[in-house]
Amino acid sequence: MKNTISSSAILGAILKKDLLAYSRNKLYIFLTVIGIIFFVLIFWVTPDTVDETIVLGITPSIETMLENAREELIEDGIQQPQFELFSANDIEKDLATEEGMQVLEFEDAEQMKKVLEGKLKLYVSEDGTLESIDPQEDHEKKEQLKDAEEKDLHMGLAFPLNFVSEAIKGEKTEVTIYLDAAVPNEMETAMQAYVQEIAFLLGGHESPVEFPEEEAIILGHDRAGQQISMQERMRPLLALFILLIETFAMASLISSEILQGTVTALRVTPMKVGHFLAAKTILGTCLALSQGVLILLLIRAFTVENWHILLITMLLGSLLFTSVAMIIGAAGKDFMGQLMYAILFTVPLMIPAFAVLVPGTVASWVQMIPSYPIVELLVGSTIYEVGWLDYWNEFLYAILWVAALYLIGLVILKRKVETL
Amino acid sequence: MSLIRVWKLFLKEIAMGPRNPFFLYAVIVPIGLTFLLQMAFGTIFEPVPRLGIVDYGVSEIKESFTQEEGIELHVLNDAEELKKQVENDDLDAGLILQSGLDEKIKTGEKPQLDYFMGGESLASNRIILTVMALDIFREIKGDDSPVALDVVSLGEEGLPVSMRLVPLIVFYALVLAGVFLPGSGIVEEKEKGTLQALLVTPARKEEILLAKGMLGVVLASLTAIITLFLNNVFGPRPWEVVVVVLVAAVLSSILGLLVGIISKNSTALFAVIKGAGLILFAPVVFYIFPDWPQWIARIFPLYWIIEPIWEVSVMGNPLAEVWFELTVALFIVIALIPVIVILSNRMLKA
Repeated sequence: MKNTISSSAILGAILKKDLLAYSRNKLYIFLTVIGIIFFVLIFWVTPDTVDETIVLGITPSIETMLENAREELIEDGIQQPQFELFSANDIEKDLATEEGMQVLEFEDAEQMKKVLEGKLKLYVSEDGTLESIDPQEDHEKKEQLKDAEEKDLHMGLAFPLNFVSEAIKGEKTEVTIYLDAAVPNEMETAMQAYVQEIAFLLGGHESPVEFPEEEAIILGHDRAGQQISMQERMRPLLALFILLIETFAMASLISSEILQGTVTALRVTPMKVGHFLAAKTILGTCLALSQGVLILLLIRAFTVENWHILLITMLLGSLLFTSVAMIIGAAGKDFMGQLMYAILFTVPLMIPAFAVLVPGTVASWVQMIPSYPIVELLVGSTIYEVGWLDYWNEFLYAILWVAALYLIGLVILKRKVETL
Repeated sequence: MSLIRVWKLFLKEIAMGPRNPFFLYAVIVPIGLTFLLQMAFGTIFEPVPRLGIVDYGVSEIKESFTQEEGIELHVLNDAEELKKQVENDDLDAGLILQSGLDEKIKTGEKPQLDYFMGGESLASNRIILTVMALDIFREIKGDDSPVALDVVSLGEEGLPVSMRLVPLIVFYALVLAGVFLPGSGIVEEKEKGTLQALLVTPARKEEILLAKGMLGVVLASLTAIITLFLNNVFGPRPWEVVVVVLVAAVLSSILGLLVGIISKNSTALFAVIKGAGLILFAPVVFYIFPDWPQWIARIFPLYWIIEPIWEVSVMGNPLAEVWFELTVALFIVIALIPVIVILSNRMLKA
């Protein structure tokens, strides 16, 4: 009597057995759940904005300085037709539109100093009014200011009341720059140059060079005011981390089957080596892909524009890490040995994801790592919202790496299974 | 208890220890982490403005920029390469100094500048570099400064992120060598049955555990000291640093012995360490985020060894300032010894 069993039935049976074995591995189930919770938590506590603004305090206010200058210049009989065009409102409007710097006007230098010393907390209400309070004592006032924005002042400029008139007359004046001790050197140097430049311009000294128009000198997409946050940069890293955990789990499953002789037992059944390899490929890829997609959903990586690119990228990533798991698992080491093998193989694969955190071009040796095109695709689709056509070469590069590693994984695992 | 036997067992541990994968791991990870975190966080969170210059003459402007503090200056030979680097965010801004630019500035010709900025450069860095450049052009032109500047620094300087990450690296040095190594050593002996074999020799259970603990103490102390040294935070009193590190290594190793005793096999050991990892790791986070309420950190056991290392090694304070923390750490060690004795008796009966 001949009873034939179809390949799909064999495959289904192996997958069922593997899933059962996987669900019994409490350590990896625990690590996967903890990993997902931990990575999602990390993502949401990572800063989602980039602070690229220098908050500068000045005292006295622009209006006070201009009024004083008008009176003094009239008293001295100095005609400054250009100066008549200056209005505090216009200057304030110009400053408000300046990218990278926010100027806050204080009437009282002492108040500004105390804010910089950290003795007072500074709040800016919606209409731009400044309020500073002692956080230890003014609890009632703090409650009233709950809708106002709290500001960290980096630097303060204390101008003499006659600064504008003296600068126009070409007289040397003294300006005090108050700095928060944490302000870096370059900001201190720049602020000194900034004050001097104001005085130069008021004194009628034109800029010694002609700067090109700002629009003409920006190379690449101008991200001023909409910089890529650390949170956004973390997305590829977290997606790869979850694939990494699945590599550990899959390698452990294969290792234990080799060590415990399950594979040898299976070989006396109608199962062929091809069935075994296919089952491992399907299970490893599906587990990694489902968890990768879950984490990307939880960190809101999917958009209407990128979902298809992300899915294909994660599929490639899952297959890549499953291939690595096959190579590690084929060594058939005990728990500790397999752990060390896994670390040895997977840590280099994480390097491209870390490299994304650092601004600038990734080093050429990093671009040689198999996971690099996957990371590039994740970055492109989640941060830069690129389409298929923009990144077709990365896709090709990723497919080539995945195919190569999968082939290596298959050959190594096949030979191991056949020699058992 | 025979000290000679403990010594011989300790020598055996030293000889066999490197065969344990965690031995290698304990040595490599803190050093690797030091390089990785110093390299990464030194630039990620505190990015200095990066300027590229191509000088087609012999400009004083380039020389002036080399003397500016707080900017990263790159001198290139090719304008196209400079533009490419600016566009790729390898540089924040690029400046091409054409031949004869200095002379044109000096004669008041007001030459057009070849200056460009990267789209991904921070707005604050654009202002800093532009204003610095203007200041240098004024200097070249010979304009006298119209203001006298008085710079006053207020408040206390905060610690850089790379410094605040030192407890994290030291934590790994202590946990990997102090907790993992003795723990995995005991588990391995249990799994391979060599623990039973050892116990039929004159060696006693306490002597075996002490030898394994000693290996943890020695390796944890060494890796922690090397880590502090590599991070350039050895403090002004090196011997006092050694004392706090030793106390930390002893407490870590005691925890390692405890973990090894309660874990039936490697998988259980890994699960225990992963499960307890968050509790052990928690105090380290408070050094990275100093604005968080610091009293919470005191709830966790490793706070009492990380805090003395932080104060004596990183902050440079004398040992006398951390006597309370050290006393608590030693108290935890003393309190855990009877627990280890009871649990190890149960382990042997099982």
